[in-house]
Amino acid sequence: MTTDSLLLDPESLERERRELERAWGATPGLRGWLSDTDHKSVAKRYIVTALVFFLLGGVQAALMRIQLARPENTLLGPDAYNQVFTTHGTTMMFLFAVPILTAAGLYLVPLMIGTRSIAFPRLNLYGYYVYLIGGGLLYGGLLLNQGPDAGWFSYVPLAGPEFSLGKRIDIYAQTVTFTEISALITSVEIIVTVFKQRAPGMSLNRMPLFVWAQLVTAFMVMFAMPWVAVASQFLAADRLVDTRIFDPAAGGRPLLWQHLFWFFGHPEVYIIFVPGLGFVSSIVSTFARRPIFGYPVMVLSLVLTGFLSFGLWVHHMFATGIPQLSESFFSAMSMMIAIPTGVQIFCWIATLWSGRPQFRLPLLFVLGFVLVFIVGGFTGVMVASVPYDMQVHDTYFVVAHLHYVLLGGAVFPLFGAFYFWWPKVTGRMLSERLGRWHFWLFFTGVNLTFFPMHLLGLEGMPRRIYTYLPETGWGPLNLVATIGAVTIALSVVLFLVNLVASLRVGAPAGDDPWEAPTLEWATSSPPAPYNFHLIPTVQSRSPLWKRPPDAPVVTGLRSDMREILVTTMLDAEPDSRMRMPEPTIWPLLAAIATGVTFIALIFTPWGLPLGAALITAAFVGWGWPRARDTRLQREERGG
Amino acid sequence: MTAPVRMMDASRLPTTVFDHRSHMWWGTLGFMLIEGTTLFVCVASYFYLRVNTDSWPPDPAELPSRLWPTVHLVVLLASLVPVVLADRAARRLDLPGLRRWFVVASLFALSFLYLRWKDFVSLNVWWDDNAYGSIAWMTVGFHGTILFLQVVETLIFTGFLFSSDFEERHFSDAADSTFYWYFFVGSWVPLYLVLYLSPRL
Repeated sequence: MTTDSLLLDPESLERERRELERAWGATPGLRGWLSDTDHKSVAKRYIVTALVFFLLGGVQAALMRIQLARPENTLLGPDAYNQVFTTHGTTMMFLFAVPILTAAGLYLVPLMIGTRSIAFPRLNLYGYYVYLIGGGLLYGGLLLNQGPDAGWFSYVPLAGPEFSLGKRIDIYAQTVTFTEISALITSVEIIVTVFKQRAPGMSLNRMPLFVWAQLVTAFMVMFAMPWVAVASQFLAADRLVDTRIFDPAAGGRPLLWQHLFWFFGHPEVYIIFVPGLGFVSSIVSTFARRPIFGYPVMVLSLVLTGFLSFGLWVHHMFATGIPQLSESFFSAMSMMIAIPTGVQIFCWIATLWSGRPQFRLPLLFVLGFVLVFIVGGFTGVMVASVPYDMQVHDTYFVVAHLHYVLLGGAVFPLFGAFYFWWPKVTGRMLSERLGRWHFWLFFTGVNLTFFPMHLLGLEGMPRRIYTYLPETGWGPLNLVATIGAVTIALSVVLFLVNLVASLRVGAPAGDDPWEAPTLEWATSSPPAPYNFHLIPTVQSRSPLWKRPPDAPVVTGLRSDMREILVTTMLDAEPDSRMRMPEPTIWPLLAAIATGVTFIALIFTPWGLPLGAALITAAFVGWGWPRARDTRLQREERGG
Repeated sequence: MTAPVRMMDASRLPTTVFDHRSHMWWGTLGFMLIEGTTLFVCVASYFYLRVNTDSWPPDPAELPSRLWPTVHLVVLLASLVPVVLADRAARRLDLPGLRRWFVVASLFALSFLYLRWKDFVSLNVWWDDNAYGSIAWMTVGFHGTILFLQVVETLIFTGFLFSSDFEERHFSDAADSTFYWYFFVGSWVPLYLVLYLSPRL
């Protein structure tokens, strides 16, 4: 590869830009819309869909809080309450948190590493449709009074064929399958994109911490999600074809379900939390006006969190009578995982301390994250202790803990990320004033709702009860929690108003409104379909802050077809060129084939041969090259 | 933009690359790790159920037969010969060689469908007899889905090798298809040992 000094001629640049526009732009019309494989479009659909599920899950939360506001309330009966809390948990974990946080990666990772596309763009679109079908299945079930009702972790034997009749649990099992397929696909895409598509010069030790966080998350997904995918198939098979894996009468073990579920379920918490750490690092660095303090330590902490998160699962099972030795081991691991997170928090504090912090809205949400998450972290260390856990197991103390961790660790950073990257995605700013109202209402609401739950738990209020007697004395604190929930709802409404208002009348953002250091701010807002006209090269960890005036740009990629630059894994040296596939309708058709297969499997084992036939057909349609692809290749050969 | 700009020219970089230089190789590796994990979960569940059961297989289940699964294992290992030759032909960009060895591999692939059925039957237990039968059937079944997808992919790709749409960059895809073949054969070896031999220990 040679590096020359040349004049870029404005006319040929403009011609090239028009060609890129044609090659990478979406095809017009409905079919074009359904086939659009631009990673930014797919990520936006993920985010909008996940927000809709967030609102639906929020409505369920509100219903539960209204029901519990006073003793012996009658808004929801026990059966409806069971369906509502199960659907709430399943929605928030599987349909909101994981998809929206990985979708942030699908949108931002290619921009941050300076490439034109995600790896495997058609597979990416397929993953989105499969996720959408999974969400549709869960809510279709709920509307038909077939909402799952055994909790988001659906323990057997309650969820087994003997005690859960009807199709409610089967719907849960296949919803889980759909969302896992989608998450696993995303993980492969993120890993390959990060390993092979970084702009020249962006060696692994120059990669933004957000990208590291997404990479660690992707690896965690890859090794954690298969556990629940297999477990949900075991459960579905026990219910449909009478396998006996969880049936103690035939040598099966109900506790096996808990092991399989939590071997996924605990890393899941960190799968939700680690992308949040990535948001926080980007925001802190930008608004402290300096690179993150202790970059190597931050990277090692992220990786260590990923590893340790696989050694904690049994702490969800302290009450099941496991051997004392494993209690001690898992108790120690559960306390140890606080260390890498603590290290990161100290690094952020050091960054802010030694920088010139500007307290803009995204940073405010980061501060909210630190406060709320630390409370969740403290109660986490408390429940890591076995004797304490035995006291509060299955009480509202655990509900308080998990909401502090998840809202603190994921939702605060997520809102911060919205205020931070919204201008890049839409080209318009959000209102700072509405945003501050949103922040303070949300911060107040979260504490008002969930702090009293610690006390209710200590007073002995169990989880998952649809009502309680006045004599328990739990009424007043429950009322406070409900008032808190209303406050949260109000804050979310303000947030939505802010989004809509920004789309209509928001101030234009420009390419880089925050003067941030990473590559996504080097392109237009919103970015063009091809992301970058000239692929940049990278010379430091903060490419936009420390850019030598003679930094070269990459030329010589085809502009008349979707071609990307492939670089080496460690040092990101240019290695080859690769043509990305054209958009097609097949990802949608393949997702429908997948959907029909797994939904049929709720009702009949004949879904298996049906699925085999449909998926074979989808394989053929997807795999065969399109005419346009071939024409381009011939032209290339001819020219 | 009229100021002089230094340029890094990518136009002479290759478009057909193999192994860790290729996207598809990494993607294939990713799916191997995912599928390898699902098979590991099956084996972990197998042993979890086994250590919590007094006799294995539980009475009155019979021991699994060894004949057909062993035949299948030998056939699977033998299939590596044409697959390795196809892999080498792909790297030489040798289309006639690639076609020849993919046709042979397709014949092997078809035989796997029948032999997989014999694997099921040789367990000598039904999936609904007891937890042992269930986990054994599920494990063979999970590997069976990988086998099925490999068979379908091989047949389609073989057809594609004879079509006029085949281009140079597809040699790399052929090599990745053989890469996945190594995985699906290799992953069966421990499963064979666990399912058909370990109950005798």
